[in-house]
Amino acid sequence: MTLLTIILLPLLAGTTLALLAARYSRSASAWAVAGVTLCSLTLLLGFSDAVFSGQKIVSSTPWMPELGIDFAFRLDGLGYLFALLILCVGLLIILYAKYYLSEKDSMGKFYALLMMFMAAMLGIVLTENILLTFVFWELTSVSSFLLIGFWNHKAESRRGARMALIVTGGGGLAMLAGFLLLGHVAGSYELTKIFQARDVVQASPLFFPILILILLGAFTKSAQFPFHFWLPQAMAAPTPVSAYLHSATMVKAGVFILARLYPVLGGTYDFEIIVSVVGLTTMAFAAYVAIFKHDLKGLLAYSTISHLGLIVFLIGLSSPLSAAAAVFHIINHATFKASLFMVAGIIDHECGTRDMRRLRGLFKFMPYTATLAMVAAASMAGVPLFNGFLSKEMFFVESLSLSHLGWFGDVAPFVVTFGGVCSVAYSARFVHNVFFNGTATDLPRTPHEPPRFMKIPVELLVVLCILVGVLPALTVAPLVFLAATDVFGGTIPQYTIAIWHGFNLPLLMSAVALFGGLIFFWLLQKRFNLHLHAPKELNGHRIFVHLVESLRAFARWLTALLQNGSLQRYLALLVASVIALGAWPFIEFGYNTGDAPVTGFNPVAIMVWVIAVVAALASVVMHRQRLTAVILVGVVGLTTALTFAYFSAPDLALTQLSVEVVSTALLLMALALLPQVGPKESSNGRRVRDIALAVLAGAGVTALMWAVLTRPHESIAWYYLAESMPKGGGTNVVNVILVDFRGFDTFGEIIVLGIAAIGALSLMDGLKMDRKLSTSFLNPVLLSVAARILLPFALLVSVYIFLRGHNLPGGGFIAGLVTSVALVMQYMAGGLVATSEKLRMNFPKIIGSGVLVAGFTGLGSFVFGSAFLTSAFGHPIIPFIGEVPLASAASFDLGVFLTVVGATMLTISALSGASRREPKLIGAAQ
Amino acid sequence: MEFLLASALGIVTACGVYLILRGRTFSVVLGLSLLGYAVNLFIFAMGRLTSGHPPVIVDQATSYADPLPQALVLTAIVIGFGMTGFIVELALRTRNDTKSDHVDGQEPEQSSGSISASQDGKAT
Amino acid sequence: MSHFLVLPIILPALTGALLLFFGGRLAITRVISFMSCLVLLAISVHLLSEANLGAIQTYALGNWSAPFGIVLVLDRLSGMLVLLTSVVAVAALYYSMQGWDARGKYFHALFQFQLMGINGAFLTGDLFNLFVFFEVLLIASYCLLMYGFGEQRLKASVHYVAINLTGSAIFLIAVSLLYSVTGTLNMAHIAERVATSSPDDIALIRSAGLMLLGVFGVKAALFPLYFWLPTAYASASAPVAALFAIMTKVGVYAIFRFTTLVFGGAIGASVDLTSPWLLPVALITLLLAALGAMAAKRLLELIAYLTIASVGTILIAFAAGGTEGLSAALFYMIHSTLIVAGLFLLAEMISQARGDAQDTLHAGPTILQPVMLGIAFMAGAVIVGGLPLSSGFLAKLMILQSTAESANMPWVWGMVLGTSLITMIALSRAGSMLFWKTSYEVSASAKAPVTTQWLPVIFLFGCSLLMVIYAAPLKQFTNATAEQLKNPEQYIFSVVGQTLDRAPRALPKEAK
Repeated sequence: MTLLTIILLPLLAGTTLALLAARYSRSASAWAVAGVTLCSLTLLLGFSDAVFSGQKIVSSTPWMPELGIDFAFRLDGLGYLFALLILCVGLLIILYAKYYLSEKDSMGKFYALLMMFMAAMLGIVLTENILLTFVFWELTSVSSFLLIGFWNHKAESRRGARMALIVTGGGGLAMLAGFLLLGHVAGSYELTKIFQARDVVQASPLFFPILILILLGAFTKSAQFPFHFWLPQAMAAPTPVSAYLHSATMVKAGVFILARLYPVLGGTYDFEIIVSVVGLTTMAFAAYVAIFKHDLKGLLAYSTISHLGLIVFLIGLSSPLSAAAAVFHIINHATFKASLFMVAGIIDHECGTRDMRRLRGLFKFMPYTATLAMVAAASMAGVPLFNGFLSKEMFFVESLSLSHLGWFGDVAPFVVTFGGVCSVAYSARFVHNVFFNGTATDLPRTPHEPPRFMKIPVELLVVLCILVGVLPALTVAPLVFLAATDVFGGTIPQYTIAIWHGFNLPLLMSAVALFGGLIFFWLLQKRFNLHLHAPKELNGHRIFVHLVESLRAFARWLTALLQNGSLQRYLALLVASVIALGAWPFIEFGYNTGDAPVTGFNPVAIMVWVIAVVAALASVVMHRQRLTAVILVGVVGLTTALTFAYFSAPDLALTQLSVEVVSTALLLMALALLPQVGPKESSNGRRVRDIALAVLAGAGVTALMWAVLTRPHESIAWYYLAESMPKGGGTNVVNVILVDFRGFDTFGEIIVLGIAAIGALSLMDGLKMDRKLSTSFLNPVLLSVAARILLPFALLVSVYIFLRGHNLPGGGFIAGLVTSVALVMQYMAGGLVATSEKLRMNFPKIIGSGVLVAGFTGLGSFVFGSAFLTSAFGHPIIPFIGEVPLASAASFDLGVFLTVVGATMLTISALSGASRREPKLIGAAQ
Repeated sequence: MEFLLASALGIVTACGVYLILRGRTFSVVLGLSLLGYAVNLFIFAMGRLTSGHPPVIVDQATSYADPLPQALVLTAIVIGFGMTGFIVELALRTRNDTKSDHVDGQEPEQSSGSISASQDGKAT
Repeated sequence: MSHFLVLPIILPALTGALLLFFGGRLAITRVISFMSCLVLLAISVHLLSEANLGAIQTYALGNWSAPFGIVLVLDRLSGMLVLLTSVVAVAALYYSMQGWDARGKYFHALFQFQLMGINGAFLTGDLFNLFVFFEVLLIASYCLLMYGFGEQRLKASVHYVAINLTGSAIFLIAVSLLYSVTGTLNMAHIAERVATSSPDDIALIRSAGLMLLGVFGVKAALFPLYFWLPTAYASASAPVAALFAIMTKVGVYAIFRFTTLVFGGAIGASVDLTSPWLLPVALITLLLAALGAMAAKRLLELIAYLTIASVGTILIAFAAGGTEGLSAALFYMIHSTLIVAGLFLLAEMISQARGDAQDTLHAGPTILQPVMLGIAFMAGAVIVGGLPLSSGFLAKLMILQSTAESANMPWVWGMVLGTSLITMIALSRAGSMLFWKTSYEVSASAKAPVTTQWLPVIFLFGCSLLMVIYAAPLKQFTNATAEQLKNPEQYIFSVVGQTLDRAPRALPKEAK
């Protein structure tokens, strides 16, 4: 659990304290986070003995065993080394940043993010569960995104931040896939078990994909070629960030993963060849490019990439000593590179520029800092007596024993030497161009030594460089050995890190590198002036930006192409898909009709058929003559009603008729406000498409119906016929179904009707439109008179229909609709216009009461302990009307009635309210 | 009979589909109404066709039409009615606010559309 | 029997009806509406706890036993979704009280009816009744969508309405077709009948089934039927959009319920209806949605696309992952609904705080409350993007693991992870546009978000956090749910098992 604390301290305490303390003072914030870091450090050091005695501390608390994610942590040599690195460098950075950041930068935010990152980094190196590792891995990506974008007003910060996130985040996703597969094959996500399953994994057919996916993650994070380009862009970050994340720690996360998983992935040919080749390529290539960078941080960035390549190369090789060399170089690189970045920051801070074409002769102004920088640079170049030399020497040694890798083994030494030459060259350029090379002329500010405390971190690191360089055995050797054993797994042969190995090939290589590098630099500088060198146009980040941009362009294009905002297309797609879906099974299983008897034609039916078909087709042909079209459609509606009537569905016929009247009225009123003639705009191509779709749809419906109508029919309807009387208390089965058996449908349906009306009201609210068409032809005196006479009669009829509904065709709907029809005719006759305003206010309440009546009727049954809508009934006889079901169903039906009337009237009145204004020229139409 | 109904429905459906694929809200409304008729009759027919035997219980009757589809159709009719009312007024409101009765709320680019649209006024 | 089962439908319905009486009186409508919503939340919690006992409860409306009457069915799935709905509803409703609900007379009534429709769709066991509730939730959503008007909304509404009305027509055809063959409307009974249907009817049955899936596909926003969605959702008012986050899930629910119940069999007409086409369709949906998110010019649009992407992801898991996958899909469903709803709300706050620039994704003025909104957006992006350690990450992890064995694993993993990257690109760009690439002055029309707006967002994000903390028990729940769905026998038995004499019969016909 203490392991978890090491991580949680910065993650929780660190971030919050940073923000809180920042309210008091900037230094308070700094001290707070430094304190937190120290706590974590002491906790870590507490484990030293255990670790050095070779123990591996593993603690695990289950969280989601099913997913394989547990809070499992692990501390061994490798983790210890990295954790130590992260915390120590972190401390120095905190101190450095305090002086580096300017007054207008938010100290609290910076430290909070730094702590978040530190926690994430510690998480990576201390987890036992690889899924948890991934969690922290992506957390580093996110926090680095925020840290790079810290100066978010700068365009390059934003670009750099997003690029870093996308590249490393994307690599992370690949790695996740790799981890999942690895866990799948190994049967566990816990490192210990995975290591045990080494042979299983390496034998599995999935091994190669696993390897590639994980390497993708590692290479992107550690900026290996060809994914290196994001790192230089990330230099837009404040220098402390560059020093910490982008040289000392985060970019080493990839390296760490390689080292961590070496026991399971390493040792195979695939691993060795891929990793070492990529590493070496990166190392040489980046070293060469670094020489030509004019920006100090740019140079350091490429140097970092090159050194990362070096380490990756070493880890790739399957020899114990290379592992040791790798671990050793990780430490050394952290020390000298961090210090160099800090110096770069100081110079930037003091001179206001990092451009080596403007900087020169700074030795005069800041001799002390200069000396520190030169030592660090020497170490970077691999000059003897400095730590860089030692690891580089080991690196040379390793590069000489690759005979088993074929041609690669033969060229490796030369590439290595070339890389060495280049790194000496750029180190030389760094020192020469910045500190000597004449006197500075056009500096924004006149530089001088930085504040005392700003130098301390640099001093410490540089001292370390020398100490390790001179007395390796007494300083880091044990730690290196420990970590190396963890990387390589099992035991590794004894070896000694020493300055002097006698005259041998590696020494020669070092010499070549050293002098060759100096000469190389001298040539470049004197013969062709380096400063005139313009960086190449075609480079990684441009390609990447281009890729992302073109992806976006593609996305834009595709989206616009698919979603052209045309309803016609969307509907066509819908219709087409449904036709395809509906037709598919028949293609699959074939189309067959049943053997039920079909009835023959009769003349009346044929006549109705003709009317319907002709009207329908005509309405299509003439759909632009809108008035005509409305009437034709109405005709089709009437034939529908007739059909219902003919096939023994009187209720439907009645309903259809009354609905027909109302909706036709509605359409006419609407038409009065719309252009009478639709434009002729569909292209022929579209027409053909639509006709094809229409025909297919029609054919489909016919086919389906034919298939059904020729089949014998069995349904649960027998139950309704049997129970309608005894249990439903009504002879009109349809009505009993509506108000009783399936009353719940009706309940929902009246609500639909109600909402629709409410919606119509709010649509028309306060709307005043000019009529395109006078509806005067709709209200001759006769009609209005008729309407007035009709109204009471119609109301009477509807009462009758309502009451008999339960036993004979009729019921709430039809009654409601008939009433509405009567009232609508009043509207048509203009009779109620005056009062419509008042009525409109009330209709919603009528609807509401309708729903409430129906609803509470249903709830009533709760009282009797039975379910919603359970009916109870008796049959009093009322004179002239006959037997009336005084059933709870009736009061439910009353609710229906009210809602229907309210909704219909609201819809109509809303519309008529909107269209009250007559056009200037009355009767312009027709 | 069955065939008459099936074929008629097919044709009405086709007409409805063609109309809803037109570019003006009003045509779409008409198309939806046609489609509505077709669908209602379709549901109705799924209970098979019976003439002269309404599902009203009478003692001597031995044969009934299937009442269930009829109930469903009633529900469907009423819902369809509500929807028609709504979409009609939605069309009006859109026409009023966007000054176009095209389903996409703006006159299409190609001149034919805009010209004839401008003619609307005179046409009335 | 316990009447709780019917309350999630009746309560909002009657509340809505009641609210019609208080047209303009905002204060009182707010109180009634919100109270009722809280009660609904309590009821749903109770129902879920009931459902989680494992037994499937039914409620026979009007005491008419299935298949003759309509029954409501409560199993783990419906319980879970009803609760999810009321959680989102509470948040959206609370948010709306910051001012949206004042812009029109009947906002709260419509909102309640919408809830009634959604809950009804989740609870009903009857196919035609499902249609009715679809209509209820649709008509309510039409009104809510155009709520507040403006050209953009009206245009979107026309499309939305026209498409869904066509969809309804198809729904009716499919339902009645099923009735014509199976002679029943109760889903459990249909399942029973389909399993034992005669070979001659296979084509008809499957044709009806596929058409239904097409309709559900429109609701769930599947390729190629989702094109209407982004504009519609992006132009809806924030609380409505938040509520709509659950609407696509209604479609998904219908697909889950229908395919597992009716087409979960091994032989005849009842063999799986979704293979082989659902997986490809879902993959395409996910890819196009991710690209759409990348192409989005406004934040709301981006989120709308993420909604579609979530549907794609869910159905991928469902199609490729078997029971495990279904469980993962359910987990993802909860996660995505919560976070998308939260983001829709947050997006409007951001849009307000930017002023004239609104939610357009290009450089604008400095935003008000940059820290709060920035952190909130960051959190939202991390969750919806599935970065660790968020509910989104866990959900994605579950999906990947559940499909590890699948033959389509490379496709699924490639698509899921690839689109995650695309989403990451889109979100990081959006974030840097909204919060980083800003001029130094604040727009005059900018309004700082108020507490009424913050609370629901925090609430929804908090829920997603709870999902992380209680991931293990939640996953066990979704496992149980998936199990229940994949073994429909229990469902069928508890719905129609008691009615012994339930077989369809030929009606009496006198000889012609």
